[in-house]
Amino acid sequence: MIRTLIVDDERHAREELQALLEEITDFEIIGSCGNALEAVRIINRDKPDLLFLDINMPVLNGFELLSMLEQEQLPQVVFVTAYDEYALKAFEQQALDYLLKPVDAQRLRKTVEKVRQFSHEDLPAQYRTAELKRIPCIGANRIKLVDPQSVEFVRSDLSGVHLVTTDGEFFTELTLKTLEERTPLVHCHKQYLVNPAAIDEIMLLEGGLAEIHTRSGHQLPVSRRYMKQLKETFEL
Amino acid sequence: MILIFTLLEQMSIFLVITYLFTKSPAFRPLTSDQLGFRHKLLLYLLFSSFAILGTYLGQPVQDAIANTRSIGPVLAGLIGGPLLGVATGLTGGLHRYLLGGFTATACGISTTLGGLIGGLVHLYLVRRGRGSQIYLPFLAFATTLCVEAAQMATILLLARPFELSLALVKTIAVPMLLANSAGAALLISIIRDQRSAYDRFGAHFSARALKVADRTLGILSKGFNPENAQKLVKIIREETGVGAVSITDREKILAFAGIGDDHHHPGLPIITEYTLRAIKTNQVAYADGVNTPFACPRSPDCPLGSTLVIPLRIEQEVVGTIILFEPKNMMFSHLNRSLGEGLANLFSDQLLRSRYAEQKNLLVQSELKLIQAQVNPHFLFNALNTIIAVVRVDADRARDLLMHLSNFFRKNLKRSGDVVTLEEELDHVQSYLKIEKARFGERLKVVTEIDPALLKLKLPTFTLQPIIENAIKHGISQLLEGGQVTISAQKFDGRAEILVEDNAGTYCDKLSDTGLGMTLVDKRIKNQFGPECGVEVSCEPEQKTRVLLRIPLANEDFA
Repeated sequence: MIRTLIVDDERHAREELQALLEEITDFEIIGSCGNALEAVRIINRDKPDLLFLDINMPVLNGFELLSMLEQEQLPQVVFVTAYDEYALKAFEQQALDYLLKPVDAQRLRKTVEKVRQFSHEDLPAQYRTAELKRIPCIGANRIKLVDPQSVEFVRSDLSGVHLVTTDGEFFTELTLKTLEERTPLVHCHKQYLVNPAAIDEIMLLEGGLAEIHTRSGHQLPVSRRYMKQLKETFEL
Repeated sequence: MILIFTLLEQMSIFLVITYLFTKSPAFRPLTSDQLGFRHKLLLYLLFSSFAILGTYLGQPVQDAIANTRSIGPVLAGLIGGPLLGVATGLTGGLHRYLLGGFTATACGISTTLGGLIGGLVHLYLVRRGRGSQIYLPFLAFATTLCVEAAQMATILLLARPFELSLALVKTIAVPMLLANSAGAALLISIIRDQRSAYDRFGAHFSARALKVADRTLGILSKGFNPENAQKLVKIIREETGVGAVSITDREKILAFAGIGDDHHHPGLPIITEYTLRAIKTNQVAYADGVNTPFACPRSPDCPLGSTLVIPLRIEQEVVGTIILFEPKNMMFSHLNRSLGEGLANLFSDQLLRSRYAEQKNLLVQSELKLIQAQVNPHFLFNALNTIIAVVRVDADRARDLLMHLSNFFRKNLKRSGDVVTLEEELDHVQSYLKIEKARFGERLKVVTEIDPALLKLKLPTFTLQPIIENAIKHGISQLLEGGQVTISAQKFDGRAEILVEDNAGTYCDKLSDTGLGMTLVDKRIKNQFGPECGVEVSCEPEQKTRVLLRIPLANEDFA
């Protein structure tokens, strides 16, 4: 069974694709959702094998969704779009395939063949995902898109991942790993990422430990494990 | 007593010279208020010769000369100012001084003084902004009287022995005072009359030219065709009174009015040599019928005897001609010739402007086509995708949506006409909205508040649709939770105000970058209704975007 997630902001489009896929056996639709944020949550939780992904969606488009996922968790992706102005970009992203709306059942079968072939070979999805230009954060009643440059550090605790900026703290669905992969932020501790540009000084402590003082006066722990990496960042 | 007649006799010579002078082309520049150096030199020569002539023609009296010398310097001063007055006076005075006699010094000085006084009067009036009074005969009379009186006083003061000068003054004072003053008044009145004759002539010419210009204004902007050309030739003939007027394009007569219209029919090809030449060389062709003969090639009995052919041009390219004719028994007036050339220039300008307007319009049309073409693929495929999905669950609804889609595209195709009513525009928009609502479901709410009195309001086609499309495509569809578009139309401040507002505020930057077709909508409204109408956009990021259209209420004329 190929565990599949459908992401499209139009309900009818999701229903239609689902109906078409249900006519073909060995697909398990594990869910469908209408925006990228919901999709990130579901993907991180349920880890689907295949994504049917619309490109034009509110706030964050399909390409941005991909850049919010951890490399290892990337499912296979089939883009679904109404108009082929994105086709070239879709292939640059090395998507498995792309479909044009309205989706033709015959054409969908070809896509399915490709998917089966790939899943038999059990190849991991290889997408060249772009650097994150903005980090989506969920506020009380709105989505805040934070420029990675403005992030001072990132803290992870039981409640989730929090970006600390000069404008305040923001909660994000993205994992520390994704943030490290897709932004200039670096690990200084298992639970902390720091923006090198925001570091004021690094105080060396006993036992190979250290403490970072940021420009706005925050103090972050540096663990032994990440000390070397941090030094490399500054070519020390 | 005899002396006064002798002096008046001299005066008549001056009068004749002045009269001839005012009739000569040399006088023409003097009709303007500003005199150039060359004109002043001319006046200096004229009035100096009056002064010298006045001395020569004078009557010898008691070892002195009773004369009309002062008139020249006084008038020179009055007309040309102090410098010219003194120069003329000095010339006349020096001449008199060299002739000798016991009053030589006194007369020399007083003549110069006369020029100076005339000049000071000129200066006084000009400084007071009363320059036109220079030509009042009474003023010339009074000024000359003063100058003559001053001359008598100078003789009494300077000429010795005093007994002799006193006796002289007693004899000559009254005749010279009267004769010189009257003479100066007469001369200046001749000059004044001739000046105003020129003015009247000029005014008449300008009035006629302006009247033709006024009556023909805008006719050609509706197109260079036989119908409009016929209107023009009628007006030109009425206003100029020439024998006949014709307008041609490059090949044939478009219109003809006047003598000979029995055989100069519109639609006939051009065969007249002069017209063909004017079109070929892009130059005015003229046959006055005397030095250059003109014979109508169409009919030997044609009474037309002279012709003036002026090319009509658009950017130096000849597109046709205007032809003026006079019959054989009439002279071609110089006035009509220059009027004709002026009109041809005026019409050429109008043609250029109308072509420019036409091209501008074409440009807007093609921009519009481009926008319509840009809109379609995205919308079309998404709409079809939605309808395909709906077919599975609700065939009737799918059918309904297809009807709306078909209506939307039919309207899009049809709407090449310029102006529609708000009602038609809303119908187009409704079809569009029905489909968008099906696509976005609960994410899209639309509220419409239209004053029913405005349904017949005229506005350019494709005005509302792109604005509403922006509000959905760049606005509401970019919100996770969806939003609302409000479309309202009401009367405000003597205009109709149509407002499209969304609560997204998501495309402020796009609006300022590319205008999203809003500039085109604005341009078309302004083209149609003038600069006080048009589109006003305001955007509060993440709050709302408001697009306000202002359209004049009473715009039935634009249909």
